[in-house]
Amino acid sequence: MKEIEKLFSRIVQRVNINLRELGFDATPYIQIIPINQMVKFYGFYGITPHHPLNFKFKNSNLAGSYFLGRCQVNNSLLYKSDIRGDELKKKGDLFQYSDYEISVVDNEEIQVEDSLLIKTLVHNFSHDPESLERFFIKDTVSMNHSNIHGAPCEGCFIGVFATADLTTMHDCVIGNFAYIQAGEISHLNIPHGTVWVRSPGEFNFYYQHPKDKLQEYVYFAAGSPPQGKFIDFVADRKEAFQRVFDVVNIEQPVPVPSSASLDRYSVTRGQTTIGENVLVAQRAYLQNASLGKGVNVQENCFIINSSLEGKDVTAHGAKIIEADLGSMVFVGFNSFLRGRPDNRLTIGENSIVMPHTIIDVNGAVTIPPGYLVWGLIQSEEDLETNSISIEDFAKVDTRLAMGNMFFEGNGASFVEAFQHRIKHILEANGAFFNGAEKKGHAQKNQYISFNTIQPYPEGNKKGIFPTIVIKP
Amino acid sequence: MNQIVKDFMVTLSDYATTYRGSTLYEAVLALETAKKDVELTVHPHWIVLVLDENDEVVGKLSQLNLLMALEPKTEYTAVVDRLDKFGFSSNFVASIRETSLNSELIDNYLYPDNLAMEMKVDDFMKTLSENEFIDENTTLNSAAHQFSIRKRLSLLVTSEGKVVGVLRLADVFSALIAAMKKAHNDEGEPI
Repeated sequence: MKEIEKLFSRIVQRVNINLRELGFDATPYIQIIPINQMVKFYGFYGITPHHPLNFKFKNSNLAGSYFLGRCQVNNSLLYKSDIRGDELKKKGDLFQYSDYEISVVDNEEIQVEDSLLIKTLVHNFSHDPESLERFFIKDTVSMNHSNIHGAPCEGCFIGVFATADLTTMHDCVIGNFAYIQAGEISHLNIPHGTVWVRSPGEFNFYYQHPKDKLQEYVYFAAGSPPQGKFIDFVADRKEAFQRVFDVVNIEQPVPVPSSASLDRYSVTRGQTTIGENVLVAQRAYLQNASLGKGVNVQENCFIINSSLEGKDVTAHGAKIIEADLGSMVFVGFNSFLRGRPDNRLTIGENSIVMPHTIIDVNGAVTIPPGYLVWGLIQSEEDLETNSISIEDFAKVDTRLAMGNMFFEGNGASFVEAFQHRIKHILEANGAFFNGAEKKGHAQKNQYISFNTIQPYPEGNKKGIFPTIVIKP
Repeated sequence: MNQIVKDFMVTLSDYATTYRGSTLYEAVLALETAKKDVELTVHPHWIVLVLDENDEVVGKLSQLNLLMALEPKTEYTAVVDRLDKFGFSSNFVASIRETSLNSELIDNYLYPDNLAMEMKVDDFMKTLSENEFIDENTTLNSAAHQFSIRKRLSLLVTSEGKVVGVLRLADVFSALIAAMKKAHNDEGEPI
């Protein structure tokens, strides 16, 4: 058996041992992964004057994966994943947790160990107060298009299009298209299509996508590859990315203001316009997209035949098609918003589209300004049980149930937490840059050098990258 | 309390039983018949034992199991049922359950249709676990202790590995009361 196959078996065994209590066997889900694909691609990393630099790769495969910041990868397989360490904590930072203000004693590092990450985005920083300097991903499998966002994890299986956000996880299974933001969880099997946002003592939001309808969009069962409209949608545009990864020096496809950043590993097509302070991250796809001032389009997002007025946040993996968004609209992780050319989707300013929302409509749908939207919406009528004005939601002081959505706690706290986070995202991304101050990723990411690293081409170690240490 | 378990158990032949493959309705009838048989005793039967084709006990059904089997089961109720795992308060979950029970969709669920009554006991019986057996020669003292630590209302009594009866907490407790009274009387009335 070759080294890469041994590594594969070793990781699966470790994950299964961690998940034995849940009776979960990862083997049939990952047997479908063609290991021969993992030996074909180079890995690459970015160097900037703005981010700390410290990489160590050992006994791992890094095919098509990208690294930025401080990161260690040991005994792991990373396929077309982004390990983006540009928001890690720095030595001397103060971390606020509950009533504690904890000082960070060293520069934070992402540590991936004995794990298999497939087309996964790792971003943000550890929110675990017990592990501030180490954002760990250990004994974990994450499947296609999943996000591990500020979520240290150990012994977990993360399904396709799933998101773990600001949550420390031990021995958990996160179902397909499930979104979890819950502080800390252990030994939980989260059903497919769960959207769970919890701040203990303040609020608890829970939504469950209807099983049958969700399967039309994403379906992944043991023994067969992921299927559904999401997979088809991404696969249809896969070819467009081929060129940006093949060509070393790529020309800028559209004019980009000096305060904005269009990542060279993104795709831009058609009549696309980029406003000031715009951030377009890598693996984003723009086609006939109009992006107003301060808009950000994060990794793996697709904006097609749509306009975003300004300071809109399109979180990792969100897709917006045939839609018009007013300013300051937040579209959460992996949301799928699709209008039609003759029946466009309109979302009013200051609205919040919850993570993992699906709006897929044949008739025109308009969401008024200042609305909170969640779940699965396939017609205007679905808005009755899947949306509420933010003003009304903020008045909830005990409980609310609408359709498959359940909320307990203080609505105002929930709204405030989201609005605070949106503001932080805009700040971090440089949306408020005034020409001199308030720089963010849009301004800092303009100066990145990319370098490639390659695995052994043949022999027993084929596909394994040599031990590589990269320091300033 | 120097008696042993088999002195207090209800023998299998006197207990409410049904067979694998029988329906919920048949199980309810078995329970009702057994209750009538023991109407004059202090403690009626509250569970039905499920037997296989060799008359071996393979499962049991309590009244609670039967009620739970009759609960409406939709995708929505499944979601509500797991809310407590996701940090919602028991008050919140109870209020959602109440609301859904009062909805038109599942009105009158306690008067089930034929479909519910035809459910096979195999699908909702409680299978036996290791800690619900007790040997027939166990002393009643030890049996009382076992009830206490296992937190059960009944134990299946075995003889040479085969289930021969049921020991109920109520019977053990009756023996305990009798023993207390005897001890109290032997010491004489308090002054």
